[in-house]
Amino acid sequence: MNDKLDRQTLQKHLAQLPLTHPERRAAVVPLMQSLQAERGHLDDRGVEEVAQVTGLSTTEVEELATFYSLIYRHPAGRHVLRVCDSLCCSLQGADRLLQAAEQYSGVSLGKISPDGAFSILPSICLGLCDQAPAALLDGEAVGPLNEAALQVLLRRLQEVD
Amino acid sequence: MEAVLTRHIEANAPLDLEAYRSVGGYRSLDAAFARKPEEIIEIVEAANLRGRGGAGFSCGLKWRLRDADAPRPRYLVCNIDESEPGTFKDRYLLYGGPHQIIEAVIVSAYALQAEKAVIFVRGEYGKGGHGLHRAIKEAEMAGLVGSNICGSGFDLQMEVHISGGRYICGEETAMLNAIEGLRPNPRHKMPRPSVKGLWQHPTTTNNVETLVNVPHILLNGADWFRALGINSGCGPKLFCVSGMVHQPGLFELPCGTPARELIFEHAGGLAEGRTLLGFIPGGASTAFLLPEHLDVPMDFDPVAKAGSRLGTASIIVLDDTTCPVQVTLNLMRFFARESCGFCTPCRDGIPYLAQILATIASGEGRAEDLVLLEELSGIIALQSFCAFAPGAMIPLISSLQCFHDHYESHIDTGCCPFDAVNKSGA
Ligand SMILES: Cc1cc2nc3c(=O)[nH]c(=O)nc-3n(C[C@H](O)[C@H](O)[C@H](O)COP(=O)(O)O)c2cc1C
Ligand code: SF4
Ligand code: FES
Repeated sequence: MNDKLDRQTLQKHLAQLPLTHPERRAAVVPLMQSLQAERGHLDDRGVEEVAQVTGLSTTEVEELATFYSLIYRHPAGRHVLRVCDSLCCSLQGADRLLQAAEQYSGVSLGKISPDGAFSILPSICLGLCDQAPAALLDGEAVGPLNEAALQVLLRRLQEVD
Repeated sequence: MEAVLTRHIEANAPLDLEAYRSVGGYRSLDAAFARKPEEIIEIVEAANLRGRGGAGFSCGLKWRLRDADAPRPRYLVCNIDESEPGTFKDRYLLYGGPHQIIEAVIVSAYALQAEKAVIFVRGEYGKGGHGLHRAIKEAEMAGLVGSNICGSGFDLQMEVHISGGRYICGEETAMLNAIEGLRPNPRHKMPRPSVKGLWQHPTTTNNVETLVNVPHILLNGADWFRALGINSGCGPKLFCVSGMVHQPGLFELPCGTPARELIFEHAGGLAEGRTLLGFIPGGASTAFLLPEHLDVPMDFDPVAKAGSRLGTASIIVLDDTTCPVQVTLNLMRFFARESCGFCTPCRDGIPYLAQILATIASGEGRAEDLVLLEELSGIIALQSFCAFAPGAMIPLISSLQCFHDHYESHIDTGCCPFDAVNKSGA
């Protein structure tokens, strides 16, 4: 798994380095994000690549990748629904909503639907407490949600793909 | 009060550079560059602008304490990591008005004579962060960011860092580690970031809401700013109200507006027939307040005097159908999940507290559990490495005091009284 990066890919990654920073390792988060955007998750090859570009060891990259909640080291669905389970949403029924999401889709939280279309993840407060219970679908705010709206949303995800 | 900070906020279509300039945007640059940096710091200090990120530290004083001849390069970090449950004010600023943020960062960096600015945006606000990035490029093209801004001789590089996600990244020193590509644990208290911060260079961190006040203070003066507040508060304040209210939302009002007005007028009050159990005034790591505190002005000192903190000025309302034990359990699960894991009392202690609370909430708790919770929370608050764990203990300790009877009735009856009520009602 020690395949060296080709020159072009390396250049592309380096071009993303935040210019104001004196050290290459400052690029680690933006790099992980961009590889994940390309591939759906940060795969083993991605970890190697990030290590090569930033000068960090693969262990250090791994440590960061597993620390950050928005970096996925395992494949996720093509669409990711993050449902908030923090206080304001919980007061408005988020716990029931999460249960309903699992029951309706038949997919456990954190797993991928069999067709690979989506994953549902619980999340800390999304800063959408004025739209509680709230969720983020591929980074877009949805809320206030109820079970019916959630079902429509999940069905659409399966159909669109 | 006329809107100041939200006046040009357009949630779905933020003003571009030209539109923002046509409503007076970027005018504060002239006002800033016409003054000496230390004069600006004096004005901000005279305005009594206190930090909006949670701690309420005087912004002017913080700037003055970063030595005027600190070695270069110096950094300004603008904090938009907003992850405190109940808090969504910075989201409005980010998505609704990126140029207002850029203007604020420019004049603040000028006051600090900082040549590099990093705006740290939580990953869940990534789309807003990308919008901000594009706005910075627009401002660069117009000569508002970069070298010799508007012929002033002042140079400033500005960039956005979009976080990989985790609540702890909002803590000032964890944020510096995150930007540097290190594991985002908080750093030792000493040396202070103002001496050795980002890349070991002098660094000042402010919440974005704090900074967006600065252009207005420069244009209108310190007295104008102070006079905008009421009941001892200074300036405009962004208040979030959520939880068990009719119309949760963001309200820009005079700092010092009483909680009663926020909850019952602006947020539309409670549902028919419900009564107020209590509220959290400043986000998840502040102590509960009770109905008797409704007239407390929502300003730093009065809320502190009432036994809590203004924090992020985010009120979470609880009514008589909410179980305070469940509420506290939810908060402890949040903190257990978000502990950065660096020190043991926090990493291992908070999940244990959550487990004890879960036992009580389900009706299986014993009287000794309450004693244990009190003991452990005190130890964890004292023995942990950063402010996260003491912050996490505040709502627990306060909940045990404010809602003691509820804890006892869970233990005595062996069930959650609210479960019974909610089930029979359903
Ligand atoms: C655990 C923890 C999380 C924090 N999260 C944030 C945050 O998301 N946004 C923020 O502005 N400040 C946050 N703070 C406070 C910052 O450390 C820092 O004090 C603040 O950004 C300073 O800005 P101000 O003086 O303008 O308020 C957090 C502090 C702690 C201890
Ligand atoms: S108190 Fe918690 S968040 Fe702070 S350093 Fe320790 S483990 Fe990390
Ligand atoms: S608590 Fe759910 S978005 Fe804030």
